[in-house]
This record gives sequence, C-alpha cells and structure tokens, in this order.
Amino acid sequence: MSDHRQGAKDKLVVLGTRRPTAYWKSTDELHNGVVDHGEFPGGLPPITVDYAPPAEGAVIPTGHDHDHDHGHDHDHGEHDHEHEHDEPGSDGPNRRDFLTLMGFSVGAASLAACRAPEIKAVPLPVAVEDMVAGVPNFYATTCGGCASSCTLLVKQRDGRPIKIEGNDASEIFGGGTCAAGQATVLGLYDNERLKGPQWKGKAAAWAEIDEQVTTSLRQITAKQGKIVLLTSSTNSPSLRALIARFLKEYPTARHVQYDAISASALRAASAQAFGKPLIPHYAFDKARVIVSLDADFLGTWISPVEFARAYAHGRRANGPEDAETLHVQFEPGMSVTGSNADQRVPTLPSQLGAVAAALLARIGKLAGQAVDPVTDPVDGKILDSVAAELWKHKGESLVVAGVNDTATQLVVHTINRLLGNIGKTVDLARPSMQRLGDDAEMAAVVDGINKGEIQALIMHGVNPGYDYADGANFAKALSKLALVVSTADRHDETNADVHALCPDHHFLESWGDAEPIAGYLSLQQPTIAPLYETRSFAESLLRWMDDTTTHYDYLREFWRTQVMPRQTGLTTFDAFWDHSLERGILDLGAPADAVTDGGAGDWKAALATIRDDAQKAGGDKFELALFESVGLRDGSDGNNPWLLEMPDPINKVSWGNVAMLAPQTAKKLGLSDGDIIALAAGGVTIEAPAFIQPGQHPRTVSLALGYGRSSVGKAGNGVGVNGFGMMHVARGGRRNWATDVTVTVTNRSEKLASSQTTFSLEGRPIVLETTREEWKEDKAKKEKGEPLLNLWNERLKGDKLWGMSIDLDACTGCSACVVACQAENNVPVVGKDQVQRQRIMHWMRIDRYYSGSEDNPQALHQPLMCQHCNHAPCETVCPVLATTTSSEGLNQQVYNRCIGTRYCANNCPYKVRRFNWYNYTTGNHAGYNMANPTGRLVLNPDVTVRTRGVMEKCSLCVQRIAAVKNAVVKRGEPMQDGEVKTACQQVCPTDAIRFGDQNDPQSGVAQRMNGERAYRVLDDLGTRPNVGYLKKVRHGQTT
Amino acid sequence: MDKLPDGVADVVWIEGSPTLGKVTADIAAPMEGKPGKLWYFLFALALLGLLDLLAMATWLVANGIGVWGLNNSVGWAFDITNFVFWIGIGHAGTLISAILLLFRQKWRTSINRSAEGMTIFAVMCAGLFPLLHMGRPWDAFFIFPYVPNQHGPLWVNFRSPLVWDVFAISTYFTISLVFWFLGLVPDFATLRDRAIGKIKKVVFGILSLGWNGSHRTWHRYELVSLVLAGLATPLVLSVHSIVSMDFATSLLPGWHATIFPPYFVAGAIYSGFGMVLTLLILTRQSMNLQRYITIKHLDAMAKVLLLTGMIVSYAYATEFFSAWYGGDIYEKYHFINRATGPYAFGFYLMVLCNVLTPQLFWFKKLRQNVAVLFVASILVNIGMWFERFVIIVVSLHRAFLPASWGMFYPTPVDIGILVGSFGLFFTLFLLFIRYMPMIAIWEVKTVVADQQHTDAALAHAAHAGEGSSHGK
Repeated sequence: MSDHRQGAKDKLVVLGTRRPTAYWKSTDELHNGVVDHGEFPGGLPPITVDYAPPAEGAVIPTGHDHDHDHGHDHDHGEHDHEHEHDEPGSDGPNRRDFLTLMGFSVGAASLAACRAPEIKAVPLPVAVEDMVAGVPNFYATTCGGCASSCTLLVKQRDGRPIKIEGNDASEIFGGGTCAAGQATVLGLYDNERLKGPQWKGKAAAWAEIDEQVTTSLRQITAKQGKIVLLTSSTNSPSLRALIARFLKEYPTARHVQYDAISASALRAASAQAFGKPLIPHYAFDKARVIVSLDADFLGTWISPVEFARAYAHGRRANGPEDAETLHVQFEPGMSVTGSNADQRVPTLPSQLGAVAAALLARIGKLAGQAVDPVTDPVDGKILDSVAAELWKHKGESLVVAGVNDTATQLVVHTINRLLGNIGKTVDLARPSMQRLGDDAEMAAVVDGINKGEIQALIMHGVNPGYDYADGANFAKALSKLALVVSTADRHDETNADVHALCPDHHFLESWGDAEPIAGYLSLQQPTIAPLYETRSFAESLLRWMDDTTTHYDYLREFWRTQVMPRQTGLTTFDAFWDHSLERGILDLGAPADAVTDGGAGDWKAALATIRDDAQKAGGDKFELALFESVGLRDGSDGNNPWLLEMPDPINKVSWGNVAMLAPQTAKKLGLSDGDIIALAAGGVTIEAPAFIQPGQHPRTVSLALGYGRSSVGKAGNGVGVNGFGMMHVARGGRRNWATDVTVTVTNRSEKLASSQTTFSLEGRPIVLETTREEWKEDKAKKEKGEPLLNLWNERLKGDKLWGMSIDLDACTGCSACVVACQAENNVPVVGKDQVQRQRIMHWMRIDRYYSGSEDNPQALHQPLMCQHCNHAPCETVCPVLATTTSSEGLNQQVYNRCIGTRYCANNCPYKVRRFNWYNYTTGNHAGYNMANPTGRLVLNPDVTVRTRGVMEKCSLCVQRIAAVKNAVVKRGEPMQDGEVKTACQQVCPTDAIRFGDQNDPQSGVAQRMNGERAYRVLDDLGTRPNVGYLKKVRHGQTT
Repeated sequence: MDKLPDGVADVVWIEGSPTLGKVTADIAAPMEGKPGKLWYFLFALALLGLLDLLAMATWLVANGIGVWGLNNSVGWAFDITNFVFWIGIGHAGTLISAILLLFRQKWRTSINRSAEGMTIFAVMCAGLFPLLHMGRPWDAFFIFPYVPNQHGPLWVNFRSPLVWDVFAISTYFTISLVFWFLGLVPDFATLRDRAIGKIKKVVFGILSLGWNGSHRTWHRYELVSLVLAGLATPLVLSVHSIVSMDFATSLLPGWHATIFPPYFVAGAIYSGFGMVLTLLILTRQSMNLQRYITIKHLDAMAKVLLLTGMIVSYAYATEFFSAWYGGDIYEKYHFINRATGPYAFGFYLMVLCNVLTPQLFWFKKLRQNVAVLFVASILVNIGMWFERFVIIVVSLHRAFLPASWGMFYPTPVDIGILVGSFGLFFTLFLLFIRYMPMIAIWEVKTVVADQQHTDAALAHAAHAGEGSSHGK
C-alpha cells in the first residue's frame, strides 16, 4: 500500500519504450501456465496491452494504461508484483486506478455471466451488413403453429425474432395471421423446452443417441419388426421425400399421419367421391351462399386465416365489390363462425348428418334427382329456404361440414356436386394439404402397439398420450416397444418413458418448407440460432439413415432437384433459391396429377347410414360437442401464456375451458356460471365448470379442446379439463361429439377467469348495426347529424391527425389482434387469479354482445382499445399531466410521470386504461414470460416495459409511427397512406382495421371515417374520438 | 325561565354554575391525574388499530395496489371512500369553531376544542389516503407544483380536481391547525401557571407563547380569532365542494352532477356532527365532564343533525329526480342500479342511516336521550361512509360500456386499512384528551361568567319585578 501512496504523489508518469504487458489470470497460471478451464476451453488468451511507443518524454495520465484490461478480476497486490517485474521504470497504479479497474472488472465479469453458455448464441459480436442495431429485419418463413402453414414475415430485432406477421406477398394467406400463430414466437422463448437430447431420461450426446437409434432400427428391421413413423400432418415436400427415403431404408417402416383434430372423414369421403383422399380447396370469396355444418372456418377449421380473409372479401359491404352473401351455420354451440352467420341454427351434433341429408333431399328434388327424404332434424322451413337459396346460387354457393363423419362429408360433396360448385367454389385441382391425418390408420397403430405387433415408434409433432382417447394407456403401452423416439420439445404426456428424446427445433430456428395448397410452396428459414441443443427432425432422420448431410444442404438439394425444374422464370439455382427465400412463397400452379370430379361416391348408402345414426341418437339425452379452441387449438402450444390468457372469442373466459349449456338447460339444472358439472359418456367422466352460453342447443354441452394438459409446463399444467378422452372412433373417423351424455351436478363451483361478464347492450347505442336494406336507404338519404357543441378550445393541430377505423362488419372476433397487440406492446400476462379479479392487461379487447332471444341470439364483436379522444376525459383529470393528447391526435401516456391515481381510468368512458396493480416482471404475482430471462427475449425493445403503479393503454403503436417517420425522413419522400400499420391492423385477416392520417381526405381511414356507416362510440359525451367504427350490416332476410 | 330580559342567555350551558377556579380544576384534572380504566382500554384498542394500519400500509406499499380489491372497472373504492369520509368528519370542527363563533353561539364553547382536534386528526387520516391510493406513492411530490428542475419544466395540471384537492386540503389543514393552536394558547398559559413539574412548565411555557393575560393581549387575541374564523368559514364550504368536484367534473353517471358541492357540504357537516356526538358522549362519560358537555349541548347537535340530514335526504331525492327527468339512459340506469343492483344493500343502509335516523330528532325526548344519541351518531357515521361508497363504487362498477362492467370485493387489506384509519384517529384523539385541555377553559369561563350574570339578573328581576337590560 505504501508503494501506491508513493506513486499517487506523482500525478503523471513518464513512459519510456515498453514491451507489451502480459497479464496472468491467477497465481496458478503464473506458475503452471495456461490451464484448460471448462468455461473457457483452452483458457483465456493472455491479454496484452500493446502501445505504440510514444514520443520520448510524452506524458500521459496514469489512469489510461490499464483501460484495455478487462475480463478478469484484479487483485491489486498482484498488480504491484507485476509492475515490479515488468516496468521497473514506471509507477504502480494509484488508488483511483484500482477502483476504476475494479469497477470495470466487476462490470465486465457480470456481463460475461449474463451471456448464454453457448458461444454461438452470442448475438453477432461483429456487425453484419444487413443488421443495424435498433433496426428490425423481416424474414419470410412459414408458420409451424399448425399444419395450415401460413406464410409469415418474422420481425427480427438485434438477432432475435420478436413478432410474427403475415406475409403480404401471399395471395392466399395475406398479411394476417391467427392468434395462435401470433403466439408462436413466445413458444420459442419457453424456458421449459428441453435443453438437449435425452436417452432413457438422461441427457446424452446426439452422436450417442443416433448410434443407439440407428442400431436399434437396423436390428428391428433385420428381425422384420414393424416400425411406425407417426407424425402430425406433414405437408413439407422435402420432409415427405425424406420420409419416403426413410421408408425405403427401413422397409418394415410405415408412415402414419395423425392429427389431434383431424379432417380424416373429409379425406375419406373425397376418396370415395373423387377417387383420391384430399381436402378440396374451398373458395369462400366466390360463394354467395355459404352453408356450414359445424365447420368453424373463421376460427379453427383447416385454414382459418385464409378462409376468414376470403370470407370477408366476399362479404365486403363497401365499395364496388359490394355483394350480398348469405351465411347459414348449423352447429351445437356458438363458434366464431356461427357468431358471424346471418342465420345460425342450433343443431344437435348427432343430427348434423341429417341436416346434410335433408338439404340433399331438397336440392335433389330441385335438381330432378330422386333422393329419399329424411326426417327434418331442424325446422323444415329453414331447410327449405336454405336449399332454395343454395339452388338460386348454383355454382356460386358452398356447403362445408366440419363433422368428422365420412357419410356426412360424402353427402356434402354430393350437394356441392348437384349445385355445380365443384371446380368453382370447391377446387379439386389444387387441393389443400393442411390436414393429412388418417384416423383409421392411427387406430390401427394403437391397436398394433397394444397387440405388440409394432416394435418401434418414432413420434414427431404428435402427443397421443394427451389427445387420443385413453391417452394415458397409450403412453403406458409404449413401454412394450423395443424403441420409442419422440421429437417433442418437452416432457409431455406421451414421452415420459420413451427411449430417445430428440427435441426438434422450434420452427423459428429451423429450415424447412411447406406445401399448404398443392403447388403452392413456401420456405421456412431460421430467424435465430437454436437456443438449445436441439436438432431439426429432418436432420435426425438423415442421421438415422447414416447420412451426415445437414438439413440446410438437404433442403437446398431437394429444391434444386425437385422444385426448381417445376418453375421456369429463373435459371440459376442460387438466384432461384434467393428469390424463393426472400419472398418465402413459390406458386408452381396446379400439379400435373390434378383430380377431376368423376361423379362417383355411393351417397345413397351414406344417406342410409346417416338415417340410422340419426335415429339411434334420438331420445332426450344430452350430447357433448367438442370443439377446437381458437386460442390453444389442439393444445400443442399449451404452455403459451399469451394463448392461455386470451379470452375465448365467444364466452370470454380465459385460463380454462368451460362446459357450455343453454340458458334454459342451466335453469332446469339449477346451474350458474362456474358450477362444476360432471359429464359422463362411454365410460369416461370429466368434470368442468358450467357456463351459460346463449345460442347453445338446449340438449347439448359444448367443451373446448386443447385444455387440461398435465405435462406441458408451469403456465399450462392443469389449466382446464381435457376433453379428448370423450372422443371415440366410429366408422374410421374420430368423432368430436358424444351422444348419451349424462350431466351430473356437483355441489362445487369455481370462479371463472372472465374478461367480460355482461353480454347485453342494455339498450345502449354502443354497437350499431343496420340491415342491407336499411343501409341502402340511409345511403340514399346521406343524412348526417350535426356536430355537437363543445366547451373546449380546439387544440393545436399537427401535420397529421392519426385515426383508426374499425369495420364491425368485417370483424369476426377471432382475437388475433388481441395477441398481436400483446406481442407488439409488451403487455404482461397476469394469470388466472388476476383475470378473475378483472385485471386483465390487454390493451385491446374484443367486447362481444348478444341481441335477440337468449336461445338463438345474434352476436356482435367490437374490438375496443383507447379511442384517442380529441377531448379526452382522462387528460383533464390527471393531476400530473401524465396523459396528454398530441398535436397528431394521439393520446399519450407518460409512464415516467404517472403516479397512479387511476382517476383517468375512472373517467374513461371506454374503460380501456389498464393499471399495473403489481410488478408483473418480477414473478411475485404473475410469473410468466416477463419474469424469466428467456421469456424476456420476446420483448419489443421499442416499447417500454411498465413498472407497477402506472397506468397504460393503447398507444396506436406510436413506435411504429415513429419508425415510419424516420424512414420517411431518410428517403425524403412523403409518407404513403397505409405505410404505418398498427399491430392489430397488420394481423387482421379480414382488414377490419384501418389506420392512417385523417387529414388526408384520400386516405383509407378518412374515407371510412366519413362514410355512411361510420360512427363513433359514445359520441354524445363529446369526447370526439380518433377511433371510429363502421356499423355492422346484417342480412335483412334472416328469420 | 320564561320571560327573560333581552340579551340574557336563555339557556344554562354549564350545569351547577361552578366557580371559575373549579372550571379550571375540572378540565385540567384529566391532564394532572391518571386516566381511568376506560381510557386505557380505548387507547389499547386504538393502538392496535394503528399497528394494523402500519402493517397494512407497509404491505400495500411493498406489493402494490393489487392487494386491494380494485380492478379495471373500479379504480377507486375504499381508498377514496375513506378519504371523503374523513374529510367530511373534519367539517364539523371548523363549522363549530368558525361559523358558530361568528354567529356567537355560546353553546359551542364546551365542544369546540375537541371538535377542532377531531378536525385535525380527521384531516390527517384523510390525507393518508390520497398518498396510499397512488400507484407510486414515492413520486407523490409530482402533485405539488414545483419549480423547473431536473425533471424539466414540469408543471401540474391545474384542470385536474385532484390538484385542487391538494390546495384545498393543505389550506384547510393549515388554517385548522393554526386556529386550534391559537385557541389553546390561553389554556396553555393556565396550565403553565398550574404546572408543578419543571418539564411541564417549560413545555407549556413555550406553547403558551409568553401569554400574560393582559387586556391588550386579550384584545388582540379576540381580533385574531375573528380574523381566523373569517378565513376558516369559507373553508367549511369550499373544501368539501372541491372534494365533490373530484366526482362532479368527471363524466361518469352518478358523479357528473351539479348538485354535488352543496350536497357534499351538507353531508360533511352531517357526518362531522355525527362523529362529534360519538366522541363527546364517549369523552363526557370517560372523563367525567357531564357538567361541561351537557345534555343541552347534545340536544343542539342533534338539531344540526336533523337539519343537515334533511338536506342530504333532499339531495338524494334530487339525484333520482334529475336522473328520471334528464332522461339520459346511462344516468337512469345508474340510479336503477343503485337501488336494485348488487350494491343495493349499501344504498338502503345509507337511506336508513341518513334519511330515517335523523327523523328521530324531531322528538325532544330522543334528542336528550344519551343512549339514543350515541347509537344514532354511530349510524350516521356508518350511513355517511356508505354514502361515499355508493357514490364511488356503484358509479364505477357499471359505467357506460356493459362489457366493462365488474364488481368490487374488498380484500382484508381494504378492510384493514379502513379499520386502521380509525386506529390512527382514536390514538391521536385519546392522546389529545389525555394531554391537552379538551374543553376550552377560557371560553367556558366566559359562559360561566355570563350565566352568573344571568342568575344575578334573574334574581334581580324577580326582586324588582321588572327586567333590566344587561349588555356585556
């Protein structure tokens, strides 16, 4: 120490010529040389400080000569020592140096500790050309959320994907996505994913596992043992080719595709009707009359984003494309699709086939075809008029059925054929590849496993232990097999006892391709280096065929040899590859082996089967209708807190599914919301909380699938009940309904996590609607109310006046915007308890109201977020000016200034303000993604994460406005209309939301805001919102 | 007592015509002796409440507002209810000391000191809630206008009633405190002169500000008292008017009403007198001061309760009438919901306590029955708490958009803080009656002196057969 003080006296030191300084890390290293430590293989390189010899006599301050020193701890005693040795002429560092160095070292050491263990995962230490800090990149890829395989643009900031957007370039899917697709990015950052492969429950190296698996497969093949490759719907052409190669390599293997919620019967019926198992590509935009038998095509069925887009396009009430459409929905409980129908007919699930049959009988009569009539399962008058409408619109109508029953599907095919819809609204030339599962084959696999006929099972993307009837036994039966491999990304209900766990990449980490519609290809590319030691399924298959090719090389080779020859534009492969990768989409046109309708299919036999079924299901017993939930779908992303917290679009319950009963049924049973009831059918009993659902068929109970997972992760375990156990296979199709259901009332009840509890409008003019007829009259009158007087001064007007217009006629209630907003704006997930306390944080919510009778009401969806009032009630009451309205019409919340009096929220007539009741990032009150370092990677760096005690609300994506403004300044050209898209607008498949500058009379938003249907919610309060709505237009003819 | 000469006090406010020395001795007794068991019992109870408040407030600040039962629909409930309740309580003190002084109401002398004390303590309790209800109480200073600083040229929003509140309440508290202290000065001097211990002498010596009891001192003193009373008088009306504007300036059905300022002021006086009654009945029983706080004082306060209760009832009726007459669907629904919705019990409790209870005081017998008065005063307090709860929660829980309707259910922390605020109040009040002259000695003496004059005058009148005027 005395040396230091000595040195400190001289403020400046004179440096002579000096050699590079070599630092050692520890005394151990000093004496024994560099040692290989685990964390830094090869040890840290000796750090040297290299100075160019300064001019003689040059004087520099002491503090500087150690600035380059970092990365390891210093002990100042060692320092002295070293200086004595190396620099006898120079002085030792003084106290200030020491403190500076120590501070820096500690800082550097802590920074080093934050780094992910894998060196590859460090986001680019050296900048690359196309990556600018703070500027996002967008990569085209394909959604792996479900087999619909929508095309995406993934927003990547500083090396990590943070937001999913649809790929505008796609003519099929457009720029929209669904809620589940939006949430996939959070699935990537799930810290409960497997961190690496496992062999018999223990972490193992990939090479080791590959050897075990390959040896085992070879042995089984040698013994002629059966191998089953069980995957979910696989429409990736490269993977299908690879599987074909695998089947050749292992001749006893077969490939079975299994979907938890399948369209197996539809495919089987197509095989009968058209000679090939396929799902026709439906054109909802071309159909003037749509009849759906329990097909929730706007919510979940086959390709909801595409269908919603086409449906809205076909129904667009404004502009030259204005066309009248009629949509009739037959279904047991209200679905998203049913809530949008012009006419909704509550129907028993067992009678849906009979509805098809009755329609066929009527249309057959109109077409001059003899069809045996069936007893009408619903009001015959409705069927008469539906059949008449269908017939009137021959060739531009469409009948679809979500019923997984071959006979029903065959009858539906026949109806479409009689209506001349095949080739028009029902496209066979380019069928959909979005559901390929075969229930009969799956049943055979289960049978084979139980009988011990199958020796090896490789499972990819499936979880039958959860979603197959009697799943627990399935998982147990796996122990009989010689080899079971699972590629699941976590310990799920199926793979507890499997031999090899070979976790697949998340699709955002993986290469791949997809072919959702025949000839319509899209590529998948990684947007981040794999977070964990996972490997793509394709690469695993390659390894198990002793092929060391990487997935990337294989994919390129496949596209070079198989795909490129099918196109003509580009001649070099690199150009073709780059072009395809950049666009993400490649349309090759209809495949050569396209199917044409040959008029086959024994629909008369199908009718007879339906008639039998319908009669059997008579009586007054309850029926259970199971449906795919809009958020969780089949439950495969069941640990995703965004989806778990997303309120169901219809019943507005989050964090759990409910047994929905008709109001009259609930009254009869003496039930109220949340009372637990037991549902028993076919020897299986499940218990679920009851929910009174208007529009439910009185003899049915509806229950959402995808809930009740027991082994998925902290967020999803035990949320809701699993309804898959009630499914059973009949005539080769897994039925998502059950007849003869006994409903038993228990004396328990639970509080539901409802985001909305009042469903009536109470006669208030909040959601306005009109009929087509009325609207046409109104349009002729062009009557506009006088603007209300107001007492406030006009505020300063800026260059722009941002505004948003929401078309209630286009909104289907799918809730994709709710999740998109959550992803874009770092909205915290608060968990079941907080939602029960009505503290959901969603900036954007969809209010859903009913009108008409309780037995079969009409529904209305109203997306609601901050209305950005010009005369904002929140603004005047805030004591500290934490909320102000900008000159561009944005109501801004200043988090730093907010002290949390909540007065603004009280005075907000729209109740869109959200208060941070707790600190949601610490995990003490809601330990979801924001509470763990991995989950936080999804946060949008452009949006502040709010602390507890402050108010927050929709900002109209002000960060997106700022980004476009910057871009505009840079390029020097004026901003285009539609250039700024809010997250909710961007995600909307139906273009219900428009955002833009109201000052520009040509802008889309201004045109809408000044249109005949425009209105503003609670306008008479004088708030003058910048968010406006367009009235819903009802079909006038409904009964 | 009939046929009194003009200007002669017609009521005997202090019983038994004690001598001036006895007055001093009686009132100083609690401070000089040991309090009774009842005091210790009540103090222990109050301390428990205070501890509960400390614990609950700590828990609240440590975790966040989430520990209360509030939600997206109901952003204020117990917090602001308690705030308005306590502010209202305070009003009786100011009314008694300022307005009744200006109107030269003699009967105020026995009760004004403790009523003023109550005001101070109630405002302290009230002041707690704006602080506690903030999401970030550590940034509470943002609400004061402060000079440009490192935060930039930030200013407060002068359009916000919450800012008006800050000014109104801080002014109110300051004036009340000064007025109270000023009233205490002559009594402190008395105590100083009576003090035996050295510490007491020094403390009271400092507090009495060198009071010498000279004519000139008294003259100035009376003048200052009048000036302060003049200053405090508008506060009786303004403070609660401004508090009512927290609601009235909003656009929520049930809040957005022009009737609010007078309605709230009347309610405040009503609740304040309720609380004064409760406290004085307790005090006179526990401190043996029946002679000074007589049944006549209680009777007078009951009359005030009757008057203000009637005003409040009228306001209730007006609200319903204007909702019906105005025809606004939101307003209409609000009042139907108030009377038939899930919080209807609160509404009926409020009607029972604030409309029906004061009707008892039409009857002199009931006005002079201490037990009835005590129960009624408690009911008044309950009723007025529920009035604020109904106004705040019922308006918020079902506002404009039915989709955002919700319910408020109090949590243990909500209830704990409400109970704890009573703990704080009673701790302060019990300490006050123990260590300070809880009846204004010098003022009572003026009344006693008057009475002695009156007695003399009566005797004289009886003797001479005709009245002689007697001016002071």
